[in-house]
Amino acid sequence: MHALSRQALTGVAALLVFGASSARAQAGLTSNLATVALTATKAATLTVSTDVATATLASITDNSTANNFSQVNLTTAWNLTAGSSVRLIGYFSTPAQALANGSNFIPSSKVQGRVGATAYAAFTSGAVGGVGVAGGSLQLFSQAVAAGSFLGTRNDVLDLRLDLTGTTTVAGDYTGLLNIQAVVQ
Amino acid sequence: MSFHTGRYFLLALGVILTFRARELSGQAHIISLAATAPSVLSVTVTSGAVQTIANVTDNAVNNFPIPVGIQTSWDLNPGQTSTVSLIAYFSVPAQALVGPTQIPSSRVLGRMTTGIPTTFTALTQNAVAGIGTAGGSLQLFAVNILGANKTDTRNDNLDLQLNLVGFPTLPAGAYVGVLNIRAVTQ
Repeated sequence: MHALSRQALTGVAALLVFGASSARAQAGLTSNLATVALTATKAATLTVSTDVATATLASITDNSTANNFSQVNLTTAWNLTAGSSVRLIGYFSTPAQALANGSNFIPSSKVQGRVGATAYAAFTSGAVGGVGVAGGSLQLFSQAVAAGSFLGTRNDVLDLRLDLTGTTTVAGDYTGLLNIQAVVQ
Repeated sequence: MSFHTGRYFLLALGVILTFRARELSGQAHIISLAATAPSVLSVTVTSGAVQTIANVTDNAVNNFPIPVGIQTSWDLNPGQTSTVSLIAYFSVPAQALVGPTQIPSSRVLGRMTTGIPTTFTALTQNAVAGIGTAGGSLQLFAVNILGANKTDTRNDNLDLQLNLVGFPTLPAGAYVGVLNIRAVTQ
């Protein structure tokens, strides 16, 4: 009888120990790890804006380069993932008719532009990176970019003038549209 | 020993062995038996395990496209467990999403309308019962365990946002991260 009681106590003790260990296991029981894969993509961008929609020249002076349009401020912004340069191109869609006054035209070769302190140049170049028109374009700047400068912006002043040296124009209003577009190469 | 004599001898021996067997059973040791079903706690992402924002907008709140469906199941002893909590967290809060630059977990917001953060809340909380990371966690729900729900399964939707309001312009590129989800008992 004494041996029987001892065995029973041993069994109860074993149960208590087992139960205690089970309680410890449940407090702080953790589940498996579930995951959610997140991807957010920021698209590359390249934008050009101007502070004014119109540049004007109040009075044309024949046979002169003193025909300056009002100043245009340009802002070019880029956010890229690749490329080695950002280039800004100005161009006329129809070089022979950059500005028109009825059937009287001023060709793009008589329109000059510059950015910053560079020299004036006529809009007579070809397209750059598919942007522009043959014989009616002018690269305004080429900005080198790399991994550390793929996100950037720059502000420029665009000066425009008519070079009418050797030219006499018919009186009237001449209007035209200069396109400005950036491209990454 | 004749055949009959031998048969009686065997019969008598059998009776003696039977009585002896009864005597032996009276001395058997007491063996306590205990069988415990292991506790179960599991989390499954039933939908939306891959979340993609195709074109992030700077300085704006960007919604991830679909909710994350989460199923949480448990089979517990209510005498040993008071609550089940579900926690979402990023392993490195400062780098919740990584691309050309890093987006911290403070810019990732979660909402579980059936849980605790019923409005979009940043993943900036601390760990719960050792699950999660300091400053990179969000407790999604906490349910009390009683007899009635000691074995249960619940399904919840987790909505996610990327809040870039006031955040510097993101350099172009892909930003990737892993949101961890785990349950714990207390």
